[in-house]
Amino acid sequence: MVQLVGSLRKELADSLSTCKVLVVGAGGIGCELLKNLVLTGFKNIEVIDLDTIDVSNLNRQFLFQKKHVGKSKAQVAKESALQFCPTANITAYHDSIMNPDYNVEFFRKFVLVMNALDNRAARNHVNRMCLAADIPLIESGTAGYLGQVTVIKKGMTECYECQPKPTQKTFPGCTIRNTPSEPIHCIVWAKYLFNQLFGEEDADQEVSPDTADPEAAWKPEETAARATASEKDGDIKRVSTKDWARSTGYDPVKLFNKLFKDDIMYLLTMDKLWKKRKAPTPLDWHQLENTCPQEDSPVSGLKDQQVLGVWGHCQLFQQSVETLSSQLQEKGEGAELVWDKDDPPAMDFVTAASNLRMHIFSMNMKSRFDVKSMAGNIIPAIATTNAVIAGLIVLEGLKILSGELESCRTIFLNKCPNLRKKLLVPCILDPPSANCYVCTSKPEVTVKLNVHKTMVLSLQDRILKERFGMVAPDVQIEDGKGTILISSEEGETEANNSKFLSDFGIRNGSRLQVDDFLQDYTLLVNVLHTEELERDVEFEVVGEAPDKAPPPQTNQEEVNSITNGNKDSAQPSTSSKGHFGKVVKKCHAFCCKHLFPQSPSSSKC
Amino acid sequence: MAATNASKEQKYDRQLRLWGDHGQEALENAHVCLINATATGTEILKNLVLPGIGAFTIVDGHTVSGEDVGNNFFLSNNNIGKNRAQAATELLQELNSDVSGNYVEESPDKLLDNDPEFFHRFTVVIGVHLPESTCLRLGSVLWSASVPFLVCKTYGLIGYMRLVVQEHTVIESHPDNALEDLRLDQPFAEFKNHIQSYDLDSMAKKDHSHTPWVIVVAKYLAKWLSEHNSQPPKNYKEKEAFRQFIREGILKNENGVPEDEENFEEAIKNVNTALNPTKVPNSVEDLFNSEQCNNITSQSLSFWVMLRAVKDFVHKEGNGSLPVRGTIPDMIADSQKFINLQNVYREKAMQDAAAVSKHVECLLQSVGKPPESISEKDIKLFCKNASFLRVVRCRSLAEEYSVDSVNKDEITSCMDNPDSEMVFYLMLRAVDRFYQQHSRYPGVYNYQVEDDISKLKLCVNSLLQEYSLNVNIKDDYIHEFCRYGAAEPHTVAAFLGGSAAQEAIKIISHQFVPFSNTFIYNAMSQTSATLQL
Repeated sequence: MVQLVGSLRKELADSLSTCKVLVVGAGGIGCELLKNLVLTGFKNIEVIDLDTIDVSNLNRQFLFQKKHVGKSKAQVAKESALQFCPTANITAYHDSIMNPDYNVEFFRKFVLVMNALDNRAARNHVNRMCLAADIPLIESGTAGYLGQVTVIKKGMTECYECQPKPTQKTFPGCTIRNTPSEPIHCIVWAKYLFNQLFGEEDADQEVSPDTADPEAAWKPEETAARATASEKDGDIKRVSTKDWARSTGYDPVKLFNKLFKDDIMYLLTMDKLWKKRKAPTPLDWHQLENTCPQEDSPVSGLKDQQVLGVWGHCQLFQQSVETLSSQLQEKGEGAELVWDKDDPPAMDFVTAASNLRMHIFSMNMKSRFDVKSMAGNIIPAIATTNAVIAGLIVLEGLKILSGELESCRTIFLNKCPNLRKKLLVPCILDPPSANCYVCTSKPEVTVKLNVHKTMVLSLQDRILKERFGMVAPDVQIEDGKGTILISSEEGETEANNSKFLSDFGIRNGSRLQVDDFLQDYTLLVNVLHTEELERDVEFEVVGEAPDKAPPPQTNQEEVNSITNGNKDSAQPSTSSKGHFGKVVKKCHAFCCKHLFPQSPSSSKC
Repeated sequence: MAATNASKEQKYDRQLRLWGDHGQEALENAHVCLINATATGTEILKNLVLPGIGAFTIVDGHTVSGEDVGNNFFLSNNNIGKNRAQAATELLQELNSDVSGNYVEESPDKLLDNDPEFFHRFTVVIGVHLPESTCLRLGSVLWSASVPFLVCKTYGLIGYMRLVVQEHTVIESHPDNALEDLRLDQPFAEFKNHIQSYDLDSMAKKDHSHTPWVIVVAKYLAKWLSEHNSQPPKNYKEKEAFRQFIREGILKNENGVPEDEENFEEAIKNVNTALNPTKVPNSVEDLFNSEQCNNITSQSLSFWVMLRAVKDFVHKEGNGSLPVRGTIPDMIADSQKFINLQNVYREKAMQDAAAVSKHVECLLQSVGKPPESISEKDIKLFCKNASFLRVVRCRSLAEEYSVDSVNKDEITSCMDNPDSEMVFYLMLRAVDRFYQQHSRYPGVYNYQVEDDISKLKLCVNSLLQEYSLNVNIKDDYIHEFCRYGAAEPHTVAAFLGGSAAQEAIKIISHQFVPFSNTFIYNAMSQTSATLQL
């Protein structure tokens, strides 16, 4: 390392070889980062990633080769890096950083943690762990040509959660099931359908018409009458889509007519829905077969970028159902398929099913390429941006290690030099936000919900885990008795799950003390009871209207746009499960742009 | 073959979303030359090999040293003593089997002596850590051969890039906030007819609320024009009035309450952009007036032939406007109405492109070239991007370095700002001068640092004097540069490797606009600047 001593001070160069650092994520940024760290003189590095290697990683994650596809990213990254730099001491974990094994003690081993993540849930979690362990964290993200690096240190800077990020848009169930109005609604529906037919069934992913839609305003007796009328097929019991599909032997034509004809005709009977909307048009397989002209197969250009016609999608539907059902069969009894945007038949299926539904609901059909972008929430990614960002991360890391935290910056990388001819825009780090519900000394929030309609399970899953990023919350009611509502110990409070909050005396003004021991995090939740939430909205966090734009930044030198992560909040990463959501943090007129391609929600910039 | 395409589509999926299959094709046809496989050099090349350039050739006469192994990921201990080009090629090649890697174990100077035409074959030449004399020699060879030249250097905590290209044309510049091309202010005949096929007053409610906003605006604009002496709404007040005018057109229910008509809301929201007058952008007008456009010869690039054809189109069939782009944004409408509207624009775009194509044919004929030398597909792409065409022109290194043509204004005005990155440019020039005089870089040997500080200071002063630059460079910078000892920290090299490869991809794919012409990165403050030199 002769050369480095030249530009790094000797003490610093020495400390690099003894200190221990953690890299969270061994993907695009992670691979570059690992290389940079090793070649900068870091000797003790731990790297963790739960993902395995996919072909679509190879255009940028240079520590991986074709022969590694399917193997652990962390493990292969370690081995490849060691080949080049045998003197480094690298520990690899093929695991989720959210696993309780990686507790505060684990984090305290490191002088520095560097995130190279792709999803908000894990970012939130590492943020909390680093706050709890009081270890500096370097956060980063890229999207296409854009990127960002920032430094987080307890008590000195904003934490990752200080700025409210627009909540990930989840789509109301009735929009998905009854009244889709945008292509993304149909794509979400098609992904649900995939799971209903071939994957893990999830009650939240129903695809059949929703008779409880308040807008449809059905009278119960009518409902019953109509329901029987529509089930003329006899054995369509709406208990399990999968069982039904199996009983037909996954006959593509039967599935088609059920999904795109019968269900749509059923929807048409919910006439209130179509008073203002354009009503859907059912499709019939046999009719299409006879009337649709044989489409020519596309001749030039990439196949993926062509938009097929209706019959083309029918055929694609048929082929993909056949392939997937035989895959399912090969796997044996009780097996499930996992949807993966990079798995061709799974992607074909979603392309076909979503396009057919788009057509039924009078939307313009989309190419497989575009559907893939939306379904997989794909953020374009290239080697160059990751290289730049990883370079910046290590330089910020060196500043931290030399005790110059105050000279650290949040750095934004632009697509091309901005109007002031700057490709990079460094901004001074903001101090912690006084209202942050994570890093203030006594975090507190107010949640508006209906105590008679909110179940304990949805408090746990939707509010505490999804919205407030906890991993294993314990909830105690401040009712003077210290009633335990939710315990993270297995088997203690499961009986409460399907009860309503009001069953435990929770009412307007009740206070809940929520603890996450892993994150060493306590949050006080004030309950604000309301009967007036919008259709399909379960709760609202007071002071953070669902799509409220972040407060304007005042103390920045200039720009402030940002990226950071892409995928989803609910799941710790993985390229195999595209979830929905986007994160657009601070925006500014200077380089204000959507950092994420048109994925589900349209964020306000 | 089909199988390879499918696997490539999979492997390159995430980047195809940025530059498309034609961008990828350009990459796959590119042959990139790298001179000197230093850490910066191999990082750049890595970032080009991964996305799949066709081929690379490394030119390097050095043998691998221990220091190389210390900061270069693509060299290992057992390479020490071997030729650096060969060693780096072996490892870089492993990154991507679709790429053909080659190397030449010779210094660029030798090649320039014996076979300067060697460099003509490349799509782009990237020169890393070249001494000034080599850089200037190679620069002039490439300049006259019209081969783009990207000069890169990592020096301590400073990164430097210089793009040297006479003329770089960009058809797809991918602007961020492009206005739509809807022609509402001057509807073409087919669009007029289409507007007339709608009668908002006698429509069923469902149709009324599913009429595309473009039609809504067009309808109300026509009414407005007839009531306002054919003057469109111009200022804020008039536009507000126009919005109100549209708002009044929203259907009302039996109680006189306006219905929810999202398409009308969309129309109101889009008034501003919709009323934007259709005209040829100044940047394109400037290109129309350039020498290359007006003087088409058999040597002219197809870009200029197409540009001239578009110019001829504007003056004839286009009545002063560029060819219709032919795309419309997504809007609330039912499929049939949307598709009908889309087809109106699409067909007009095809007609316009066909007219441009005729002009192209005439031009080609007039210079004795066959009409098929420019494809219909290229002409369509060109017409679609006609508003966004860009040409980047850089000054040659000779101009930059000559006392007579140095850009003194840029240097002195930047140096007025104490934080300007310009000072690093001057320091790098002084360091080059040091190297010329001493055949080594300042501060490489610890025992010479003190001595070198005064020597470097002399170089700084003689540089400023030679160019009669009346600027002040603080001693701190001289100390700092001596401290660097020409080190190439890996993480700075990695940063530059990403940035330089990005520019190389822009140049190869002719998509996005490359920087012009000098880029400086300061890793101490994480700042950067582009300078015109």
